[in-house]
Amino acid sequence: MNVVTRGTKNALRSPIRSGAIVIMLSISVALILVMLSARSSVTAQIDQVKTTTATTIDISPAGIQGGMGGGDPLTADQVTTITNTEHVTGVVSTLTDQMGTDDTDLTPSTELGSFGERQQRFEGSGMPSFPMPEGEAGDGATAIRTPPAARTTVTGTSDPNSVATDGGELTLKSGATIDGNSDELIALVGTSLATKNNLSVGSTFTAYGQTITVKGVYETGNNFADNGVVMPLATVQNLTDQAGKVISATVSVDSSENVEATATALESMLGDKADVTSASERAAESLTSLESIESLTLVGVVGAAGTGAVIVLMAMIMIVRERRREIGVIKALGGNNFKVITQFIVESVTLTFIGAVLGMAIGIFASGPLTSALVSTSSSSTTSTTNQMPGGGNPGGMRAMGAGGPRGIAQEAQSNLDQITATLSPAVFAGAIGITFLIAIIGSAIPAWLIARVRPAEVLRSE
Amino acid sequence: MSLTVKKLTKSFSTSGGTVTALNSVDFHVDTGEFASIIGKSGSGKSTLLSLLGALDIPTSGEILVDNEDITKLSSSKQTAYRSKKIGLVFQHYNLIPNLSALDNVILALEFGGVPSRERKDRAVELLEEVGIDADQQKRKPSRLSGGQQQRVSIARALANHPAVILADEPTGNLDTETGKKIFDLLHNLSRSENTTIIAVTHDLDIAGKTDRTFRLQDGKLIKHK
Repeated sequence: MNVVTRGTKNALRSPIRSGAIVIMLSISVALILVMLSARSSVTAQIDQVKTTTATTIDISPAGIQGGMGGGDPLTADQVTTITNTEHVTGVVSTLTDQMGTDDTDLTPSTELGSFGERQQRFEGSGMPSFPMPEGEAGDGATAIRTPPAARTTVTGTSDPNSVATDGGELTLKSGATIDGNSDELIALVGTSLATKNNLSVGSTFTAYGQTITVKGVYETGNNFADNGVVMPLATVQNLTDQAGKVISATVSVDSSENVEATATALESMLGDKADVTSASERAAESLTSLESIESLTLVGVVGAAGTGAVIVLMAMIMIVRERRREIGVIKALGGNNFKVITQFIVESVTLTFIGAVLGMAIGIFASGPLTSALVSTSSSSTTSTTNQMPGGGNPGGMRAMGAGGPRGIAQEAQSNLDQITATLSPAVFAGAIGITFLIAIIGSAIPAWLIARVRPAEVLRSE
Repeated sequence: MSLTVKKLTKSFSTSGGTVTALNSVDFHVDTGEFASIIGKSGSGKSTLLSLLGALDIPTSGEILVDNEDITKLSSSKQTAYRSKKIGLVFQHYNLIPNLSALDNVILALEFGGVPSRERKDRAVELLEEVGIDADQQKRKPSRLSGGQQQRVSIARALANHPAVILADEPTGNLDTETGKKIFDLLHNLSRSENTTIIAVTHDLDIAGKTDRTFRLQDGKLIKHK
């Protein structure tokens, strides 16, 4: 029987005490695994957010935000300038319009309501007359404007996914997506608008005097967005006689380090014609909840590892004190410090190993639910925080229409949290095993020192 | 192996002041001699034994084993001295409780540097020599009688062919008959193996049967027989 066998055997010398130590250790190891797993997922999500959200810049014409306001859209030349700017890897452009009854045969699925009426009210009392815009009702003719009515939003975009409200891909209930760079008379229709107008894939409707074919029906879960129509950018530009015009451009930059410099260059080039908003601030807001979970998991890992180390430490101190006489006898028989300490380290490692195996088994089953619970708790606090923010921003929450407001950030943050699931990768297991052995070593260090101090003469003196 | 002690002194610092357990002790024991040390409780018997076994460091003086002063040895050499040249027998046996009788003897052989493949045969041989049969060899100490445990303890002390066996009250925890058997066993070993044995005892009958007896009184050694 060598020193390793003796150490292993000693670990099971007192089944009840060893069992209690193993159970406490296994809980600690399970917590370490869960926290490492959650941390790994959150870190991956943070990296993803940093490489996506944090590398974009939103540009909108001066005075226009979320399809509201006034001013001139960005021109084709300005879009070309944006596209050719250094570090810019892509530009998603959009042009929106509100279609009234004269523009389309579609019936909006949402009511105008008091808010909508207020947005379309005219100055003065009664039903005044206004000159119609040039070209619509003859030269300078005075006509009665149509009374306020709900309208249908049409979005022309070079990337239909930009309409999604969750930052991911646009969810299609039926049909297929459309090519945002074509100029065909095709459209994706929001699910509530499609239901209201009995539209399905292959159906047609009229817009700006042209027949548009429905290629797909999308669903965002947002009432405003689901009452809309999405068409290729060039199609909307052609239909509304705004060739090359866009009201928002989302610019992708090659790396997060270049975002601020690129934003500055764009501001310089576009001057006061456009508002340039770097995504860094938005990303920071979006990352807050993720980083708080990351910090929480780090505290959890350190806390669980510390607890495990204290459990091993206290157990080994207790064992060493209890076996002082035995240690003295072994030394008196010619056992050196190295052999005695090795025997106790093997005992400690054996207990830790059994605890680790059990703890990892528990951790595998618990990591999913516990990560969800952790994310859920953080999600509640995020919602609570964003609900306290002042209102504003885009009314519908669609990214394409300027989701830079608090609602958009909240949705992005929630989306980031929703995408977190427990990841038990080999790296997570390696980390948990590494920490476990660190626990065993730390837990054995002080007992080893105590062992080295035991003098064999004490054994004879106590005879 | 002869053993010579010269002016050996051991003092302890306590809260009440310095206590001198051994005061300039001198004696000599020849190879193969069976010597006994008697004395009242607290007279310094166990302290003397622990110094002879290199378990403790004297305040001053020399312990010459074959003309080599063991008090001057390094810590690692003292450990080697204990494992190879000294055999210890304790009043309370001090067997490792979770090891079988056989494994207790094997443990001493391991510390003595005996190759692992030879340990078991040697341990079995030693245990049989002291009267522990095959069934008893597999038992843990708690399932052996006091006499059997002391036999195992003696087998363990003999494991590495020690030149000196230091026995601290080897019969003190046994009944008279068993104590006599253990004494006979040690006595026979000293004769057959030519092993020097120094035993601390309260039992004057046993002390009377040894080759030489020393009395310790107030830390000073007085030759008794």
